[in-house]
Amino acid sequence: MAPLDTDVAIETPEHIVFHYRVAGPARRALAYVLDLFVCYGVVLLLGVVVILAAMGGGLETGDLGAAAKAGMGLVLLALFAAQWLYFVVWEALYGQSPGKMAVGLRVVTVSGRPIGWRAASLRNLLRAADLLPVGYVAGVVSMALSSRFQRLGDLVAGTMVVVPERARAARPLELRPPAAPRELASLPEHVALDPDERSAIELLLRRRHSLGAAREHELASMIAGPLGARLGYSHRDPARMLAIVYDRAVNAGRLEAPPSSWRPQARRKRSKKNASTTPPAPGAPE
Amino acid sequence: MSVVASTLTEKAFADRRRREWEELNALTIKAQRGLAKLEAEDVVRISPLYRSICADLAAAQAARYSAPLVDYLLGLTAAAHTVVYGPHARGREDGRKGPLRHAWLVAFPRAVRRFKREMLLAAALFFVPFALGCLLTLRDPTFAFRVVPEAMLRPLTDAYAQGFDAGREAGEGALMAGFYVYNNVGIALRCFALGIFGGLGSAFYLVQNGLSIGAVLGYVGSQGAGENIVVFIVGHGSLELGAIVLAGGSGLSIGWSLISPGPLSRLASLQKRAREILVVVAGSSVMLFMAAAIEAFWSGSSAPREVKLAVGGTLFLLVLAYVLLAGRGSDEPPGELS
Repeated sequence: MAPLDTDVAIETPEHIVFHYRVAGPARRALAYVLDLFVCYGVVLLLGVVVILAAMGGGLETGDLGAAAKAGMGLVLLALFAAQWLYFVVWEALYGQSPGKMAVGLRVVTVSGRPIGWRAASLRNLLRAADLLPVGYVAGVVSMALSSRFQRLGDLVAGTMVVVPERARAARPLELRPPAAPRELASLPEHVALDPDERSAIELLLRRRHSLGAAREHELASMIAGPLGARLGYSHRDPARMLAIVYDRAVNAGRLEAPPSSWRPQARRKRSKKNASTTPPAPGAPE
Repeated sequence: MSVVASTLTEKAFADRRRREWEELNALTIKAQRGLAKLEAEDVVRISPLYRSICADLAAAQAARYSAPLVDYLLGLTAAAHTVVYGPHARGREDGRKGPLRHAWLVAFPRAVRRFKREMLLAAALFFVPFALGCLLTLRDPTFAFRVVPEAMLRPLTDAYAQGFDAGREAGEGALMAGFYVYNNVGIALRCFALGIFGGLGSAFYLVQNGLSIGAVLGYVGSQGAGENIVVFIVGHGSLELGAIVLAGGSGLSIGWSLISPGPLSRLASLQKRAREILVVVAGSSVMLFMAAAIEAFWSGSSAPREVKLAVGGTLFLLVLAYVLLAGRGSDEPPGELS
């Protein structure tokens, strides 16, 4: 994931830096509309139940009784809760409202921590200001001016809405089958790849299983040609050549196993799908 | 470990560490459904696992392992960070008493007194137009129509003219309670929120509400039902009008923190003041809930006039004493309220 200007770096107390991608107006509007459907849907449902109950009661007694009026009072309370409490409670407890859950957004403080009741209350009270003059114009202007897409409520509460990205565990690339001595004969001991070359080769090798043979050959030749000329190395299969060069550049001088304290683990879960480029580790029973 | 790991091939590194990564991954997914769902042994595991993932991430970045591995570890670190440094990790800021009790008995009245300048200004912005609206309408009843629609005033006047002998049936009371909560608490919260525009929004709401309530009072009075409306208002008035003033004062306060930030940046000043004043906003909402209950079930009831006046007067004194006196004995310095 290349850093973009919508990324916010978070430094943990352990001095580890990770990035959150800040959510823009489009995703947040989508989440908001979903939330409106959820909370006003519940209010509407309650209203329908009350009206049906009142009509049922009215048929028997001939007038809309006290219960119907009390029911309307309840609907008004629900309306209040939908307007002022719904977001506060969800965000304080889970860091996301149902709409944000569906879209994959989360509210965190600007330092990357989950928010509590105070921040959740403030950012959602200030919705009343963000809504002005009509349709969240104040909020969108504020988001445009802020570096973290913060509406007024976010500015006051010190929060931001992020898209937490969970990359799936990808197995490291492996050279399979291992390079034969004949293949390595003309390969230099030290192969230096710059980061662009490295990521280009990585991307290609990881996508190999989804490409047709001709396309794979075509794409691989585009990198393999100039690289082979530079290293003075050639191989009849450009993709295989890239895998060999990559393996040498990345793994040369590194240990296949840690020296002492390490024992092979007896059981290991497999979460990977594409075993074609990445077979199981040697010695690990499936 | 990082020394060893950085000399390992990526595959050897991942194979060696994967079991802990997967363990932490499973724990973070479990913790998202609520920390209470975690077993004791899970809680004990999270912290060391999180630290070792942090070390793994640093090692992976230093060893320049491939992007997918580093991204995976970054995502895992972020997820675990969310669990480890959640709100529960901050502990109770308010100390000895439970946070809610502390907010009620100490923090709320103290914050009101601490920002008394803003609260007094809010009171003036509300009660001066209130008195003005009342007096002008008493002199010339048509003035009320400029502030409140005539179609709303006439039935209102008729209702007050009838008096309260019939009382209010319970269903009607519940309906009105719902309406008062929806309407009045909404107004108070909006009155606070719009203070972010330099306090102008709060000032507008205060003046507008003061003027129209004053005009209604004056109009009903000019039509000969003045005594009835006073008897109606007196019960919940101290809580309701007081809460609107406090919410408006909180709005003025955040507005002023933007205009005059002192040694802080404007944003930092705004955030600090909003954190400090939130307890007043919450308190005024609770006051309005109480006022709604009183207004719906007591103010319109058929209780005798004298009793209503006495109860209203007592409540007024209680509210005043609470705001002025509560929480004074506590030894906590007022600056620590946030």
